[in-house]
Amino acid sequence: MNTLLEIHDLHATVQGKEILKGLSLTVKEGEVHAIMGPNGAGKSTLGAVLTGKPGYEVTAGSVLFKGRDLLAMSPEERSWAGLFLSFQYPVEIPGVSITNFLKTALSCRRKAIGLPELSPAEFLALRKEKMALVQMKPEFVKRDVNAGFSGGEKKRNEIFQMAMLDPDLSILDETDSGLDVDALRIVAEGVNKLHTPKKASLVITHYQRLLDYIVPDFVHILKDGRIILSEGRELVAEIEEKGYEGF
Amino acid sequence: MKQQLVIYGAANDGLRNPAAGVPAVCATLPEEITLAANEECSLVLIVLPESAKPAAGRLAPATPSDPEAAPATTPAELSLRVKLTGRGAAFRFHALCLGTGSDHFSLRTEVEHLCPDASSDQLIRCIAGGNSRLSFDGLIKVHPDAQRTQALQTSNNLLLTDTAKVATAPQLEIYADDVKCSHGATTGSLDEEEQFYMRSRGISLEKARLLQLRSFVHPVLEAVEDEKRREELTSFVAEALSAL
Repeated sequence: MNTLLEIHDLHATVQGKEILKGLSLTVKEGEVHAIMGPNGAGKSTLGAVLTGKPGYEVTAGSVLFKGRDLLAMSPEERSWAGLFLSFQYPVEIPGVSITNFLKTALSCRRKAIGLPELSPAEFLALRKEKMALVQMKPEFVKRDVNAGFSGGEKKRNEIFQMAMLDPDLSILDETDSGLDVDALRIVAEGVNKLHTPKKASLVITHYQRLLDYIVPDFVHILKDGRIILSEGRELVAEIEEKGYEGF
Repeated sequence: MKQQLVIYGAANDGLRNPAAGVPAVCATLPEEITLAANEECSLVLIVLPESAKPAAGRLAPATPSDPEAAPATTPAELSLRVKLTGRGAAFRFHALCLGTGSDHFSLRTEVEHLCPDASSDQLIRCIAGGNSRLSFDGLIKVHPDAQRTQALQTSNNLLLTDTAKVATAPQLEIYADDVKCSHGATTGSLDEEEQFYMRSRGISLEKARLLQLRSFVHPVLEAVEDEKRREELTSFVAEALSAL
């Protein structure tokens, strides 16, 4: 199995405050990793730093993605390289339809990696196939990106975009927040269907809930900017029982 | 009353003389509009920078041009006075002003409520790029007997460069006591969070900016009632945006 992501001793600050304090993690193809931890531990910061969000400064450490220096790449280059972040709070873009948004995203990406543009027919076929994956109604893609969406619709749209972009490493940041049980199941099933032995996921969550559906191979407890414990999936139940205080 | 569309900076026959059934574009903004009881007026104004003029012929279909409707070059300033003189009169105004290079442009609106139970609603969106200077002055005057007036005014401005400037001066003069009036003005640059969201999906910075601009102008274009016209104008404006 090839290594997709290698984080070594990562330190990062936001507005001068150190949030990540020496985080190391290796993710290989086919693996599902869960990052669990209390509020303020640095979970979302990890997702933000990996995808290159402005305002997050890496002060030490290194990150390799497929052997390349991830931190030297722009957010769009990271996406083209096969990285995806499902946002905890997806952004609303009124006036830009989901279809237009995704056409632009795919066209930029295909251009960047030297592939020809998809024909309109190819795009429609791909869209139809991926919409089925998250049980989306056809009229959905005509709507503006996240504008006026419910929490569940936003998250479903995230997974739909993930399906369209077909990343090798997906980071799911609190994808379960704001979802009712039915939406949670649909979203999780979508993620599971997208998983292959060549792909990996990093599932960031507070709760056990999502991990009942997306079963992790490894569970890491992130506390105060560091991973303090890494075990198998049995750790989830232990966390549920003891709380993060117990570690 | 039919909706009026006024475009400056677009010397394009196709826009001015559209196919049958599609509302025409006026050559100039009227200086004064008076609305009597139950009269309604909806006006959409688009001011494009001269340099961002799309190539002629991109918008179909052109018919012989009207000599009265001479190509409207963008003037340095435009002003509009609106008087609401009868109950039930309603004025809707949506404006979009784009500036680039060394464009200077100022827009002034003066909306006077002279009677009770009339309404006015204005949305003005400006995008200033390059070294351009854009300004908007908006006065809403509610006369003493204009009770139950509803007057809204929103001015949103986007600065694309450090050297571009916008000035916005909303003013309310209210002499009646039972009214619903509000004005709001915002000025900012492109939202980074939004930009990051798009870039994280593989949309290049350049394209992300363009989508953000389209999103910003959307509420003005959305006000165009005729669907065919709206689509035409949307692609027309999109082209102007890519030149900012």
